[in-house]
Amino acid sequence: MAEHPELLPYGIIREDLFRPLSRAGSKWWFTVVACFLLVVAGLAAWGVQLRDGLGVTGLNRPVFWGLYIVDFVFWIGISHAGTLISAILRLTDAAWRKPVTRAAEAITLFALMIGGLFPIIHLGRAWFFYWLIPYPNARLMWPNFRSPLVWDLTAIVTYVTGSAIYLYLPLIPDMAQLGAHNKPWRRKLYKALSLGWTGSDREWHALEMAMKLNAVIILAVAISVHTVVAWDFSMSIAPTWHSTIFGPYFVVGAIFSGIGALIIVMATLRRTLHLENYLIKRHFDNMSKLLLTMSLLWFYFTMSEHITIWYGNEPKEMGVFGQRTRGDYAFWFWLMVFVNFVVPVTLLGIKKLRSVKTAVIASFGVLIGMWLERYLIVIPTLVTPRLASATSVYTPSWVELMITVATFAAMIMLYLLFARLFPIIAVWEYKPHSPEEED
Amino acid sequence: MFLISEFRSKDALVEAILALKKAGLTENDLAIFSEEPIEFRKGILDRPSNMSKAAVAGAAVMGTAATSFVYYAQNDYKLVTGGMPIFSFWATGIITYEMTMLGAIFATFFWFLWESGLIRKRDPEAPVPMIGPASMSLRVRCEISRADNFVEILRGSGCIKTERVK
Repeated sequence: MAEHPELLPYGIIREDLFRPLSRAGSKWWFTVVACFLLVVAGLAAWGVQLRDGLGVTGLNRPVFWGLYIVDFVFWIGISHAGTLISAILRLTDAAWRKPVTRAAEAITLFALMIGGLFPIIHLGRAWFFYWLIPYPNARLMWPNFRSPLVWDLTAIVTYVTGSAIYLYLPLIPDMAQLGAHNKPWRRKLYKALSLGWTGSDREWHALEMAMKLNAVIILAVAISVHTVVAWDFSMSIAPTWHSTIFGPYFVVGAIFSGIGALIIVMATLRRTLHLENYLIKRHFDNMSKLLLTMSLLWFYFTMSEHITIWYGNEPKEMGVFGQRTRGDYAFWFWLMVFVNFVVPVTLLGIKKLRSVKTAVIASFGVLIGMWLERYLIVIPTLVTPRLASATSVYTPSWVELMITVATFAAMIMLYLLFARLFPIIAVWEYKPHSPEEED
Repeated sequence: MFLISEFRSKDALVEAILALKKAGLTENDLAIFSEEPIEFRKGILDRPSNMSKAAVAGAAVMGTAATSFVYYAQNDYKLVTGGMPIFSFWATGIITYEMTMLGAIFATFFWFLWESGLIRKRDPEAPVPMIGPASMSLRVRCEISRADNFVEILRGSGCIKTERVK
């Protein structure tokens, strides 16, 4: 295993990183087809919902938000893996970022694409989604610009656009190189996407400048996006939602789950694309430390949120607090604390236990824990509303579960396709190298 | 006419650029081609950029446009708000903020395309050298009468080969 992959001869680096684009094994095909079938099943479930209405879900009065909103918040959170981490590492010029950034940026784009679908799926009459777009409706009224849903629309559109550009910019030089050596259809694709890149100093200069500027902008946007998602909840006076720390709490949670997703993706790519020389133990070690830090921060915010509710002793809030800590949701709550805090702190905090394998185990735990966290924020509050007579229960239906599973399959499928079309590590970023190394 | 020189070392390239500039060529006459970015210290081959100004301008334009749009849209149909203002900077500030950022993103991207020359009409006469890994090519635009002089300078600086393209 290379201790310093950036010092490998450039020819070998290029060969290693371009190789996965030209070969697809049977495992790759099997996974893509399996994921595709799950996505089709998810679409069929959505079709049932479109035909029969939202009655096929577990939603009821007063639980108007269910699994779809949980998934929405979860996927928007995962999207923070990429752009945010990549932008921070790029701006701080962390040399170890090179093999990590593109894998992270791709997660952002796909997670946003998936997450952005959920408000539409949740609409019920999905064909009216364009009512969110600001133009006057049939009664000549404009949409309510003070609604957090419209804020979501603007925030997510900005983040998707910024993330797509942020992913695309560093791909241009790699695609120009790929344009010279590939099958005809791929050559056409890469040539079109590389916009006639020649590798001149003007182009490089403009590219580096654009990437730096974009990194700064995208950092500000990423933080705002999850804050706005948090405000979807905290702008209402529902028990435990109306909290001033929800913005930063959600941002911390988003980065936390994002890092977990990135570690899993890195480990998978390392194994399946044979990138052991590039995604080395140092990268996992650094990412593990980041995950550990976020775990501690997440625990601090969770403690802070719950201790304030407990100390305030407001009856309705205590109702939700009780549901979470010792009622119907207690098992899931304590499981969340265990996988989000106890497991990462134990596996990654003790140096002897820290390895690629334990980082992956902790990351899987974090993904489960963060999904549960979103579930525990959305559902217990809605089943315990301020109006006591409206108390209800919520059990997700097969339609909601199928659509949820399909989105995970969609994420895996999109990622596998991306890794086959574009180098998952930016080849040109392995600079500088000298002719001696080339020889 | 154009001269294309291949270099394998950055020091030799820097020496060639400085010597060519001393001989009367401007930075616009020189272009370097490589498979990865090459960083020079200030004063060697500066490429001033207005991208950050463009980003700020794009942000200001889009932010103002979005705020105005929201203001006029909300006043177009006066809602019953129970005494609350129809337009409030607090409540619509998110839209202003996100659209300001979107303006900055778009401006940066289009300025990148413009400044890099990717969407500008290129000089069809200007050759683009084939570059391999770890090599750097310097393209020099000069008058035919002075070409021999510049070829001497390039050779003296340590280039591997030089080619003349008319």
